[in-house]
Amino acid sequence: MKVKLWGTRGSIPAPGPETIRYGGNTSCVGVTLSDGSMLALDAGTGIRCLGLALPDEPARLHILLTHLHLDHIQGLVFFAPAFRPQTEIVIWGPASPEASLRDRIARYISAPLSPVEVRELPCDVSFRHCPESEWEIGSARIRAASVTHRGPTLGYRIDDGDSSLAYIPDHEPALGADLAQMDEDWISGFALARDASLLIHDGQYTDAEYPCHVGWGHSATSHALSFARRTGAERTLLFHHDPLHSDDQLDELGAAAQQQWVELGGDPGTLELAVERSEVELPARAAKAAAAV
Amino acid sequence: MTQRPLELILARNLMSALSTPAFLVDEGGLLVFYNEAAGMLLGKRFEELGTVGPQEWGSLFGPFDENGEPIPYDELPLVTAVRGGRPAHAELTVRSTDGTHHEVEVSAFPIQTPHGSQGAIAVFWPTANGNGAEPA
Repeated sequence: MKVKLWGTRGSIPAPGPETIRYGGNTSCVGVTLSDGSMLALDAGTGIRCLGLALPDEPARLHILLTHLHLDHIQGLVFFAPAFRPQTEIVIWGPASPEASLRDRIARYISAPLSPVEVRELPCDVSFRHCPESEWEIGSARIRAASVTHRGPTLGYRIDDGDSSLAYIPDHEPALGADLAQMDEDWISGFALARDASLLIHDGQYTDAEYPCHVGWGHSATSHALSFARRTGAERTLLFHHDPLHSDDQLDELGAAAQQQWVELGGDPGTLELAVERSEVELPARAAKAAAAV
Repeated sequence: MTQRPLELILARNLMSALSTPAFLVDEGGLLVFYNEAAGMLLGKRFEELGTVGPQEWGSLFGPFDENGEPIPYDELPLVTAVRGGRPAHAELTVRSTDGTHHEVEVSAFPIQTPHGSQGAIAVFWPTANGNGAEPA
């Protein structure tokens, strides 16, 4: 399973010279499964570049949306494969008692916010509510579960062979809860992230910033680290960077996070800040065993 | 480990911050949490008791009606909420572990989600200090 980060920013795009290293595009992660199937996790502005990097050949793509806040869907109408008749796109997302996934997304892909309507997209696009139970896409088993954020919001776990990716970009598991004390089954998102090969997790705020943003649906650094340690994820990427955080500030946040991580007993090499355009390859068990030898 | 539904997690987190006694049951009627205020009312913290089966929690603390008669399990507001999927309200008396009886008003409501019922919450509101109805 290959993972590429096309957008690591949260809330709103933050382009400019001060964010050039960590990136300014909003949430989008490309995942290439071991059988070649292609997933996009969220469709923030990062999906525009993901689309440009894909071949023109007929393809079937799956877009897994965690939720419908604008920073997670804004790139949809600029996703080049959506304008190719030969492309089939399946968009997965959270159910809502209020309206179907298609109708909720159509509020954005419609006038006056968009020059095109959903029905005008040349590709073959379909919308599916994520089931409660696990399902398969290509060589992967996918699991979605509701997590603590504002509005219906999912986290995902993707198991492909012996590798697993947990993607929980917008998450405030410490809201009203002590992550250090709470039993595992009472921690939002725990089962998704448990022992994952790679955890991509919300790390929007510094601990100093968090008190002014309680209940906004995002994590402070220490909360993200505590969650990662409790779940036993092998590697963690802090994601959904605050748009106000420059590269230099993220360097400082990363250094502070590393210190906290070590204090929690973590291996310094297993925690990083997410960097736009960076790639991670998650090896299958055979390769892991070979690497261990 | 079975992950609790998010709605129960959020309910528990909210209840933990309340000074109003509150109880939480899962979709099967298992008492999975009550808060500190409820623990003070009953004389026993949830951490001391742990999860309790549907038939047990109804009898642990009474409850009794205005005549001091035990209220059948099926008629408790929390049971109506979790089984019937509708809110329920009642006045009743509960017995704490030290034998003190407390008159309370109870409002219970189901936790409905896009995936169906996930349990129910009951909020207790003490109506009088001191003793309530004694068991018949």
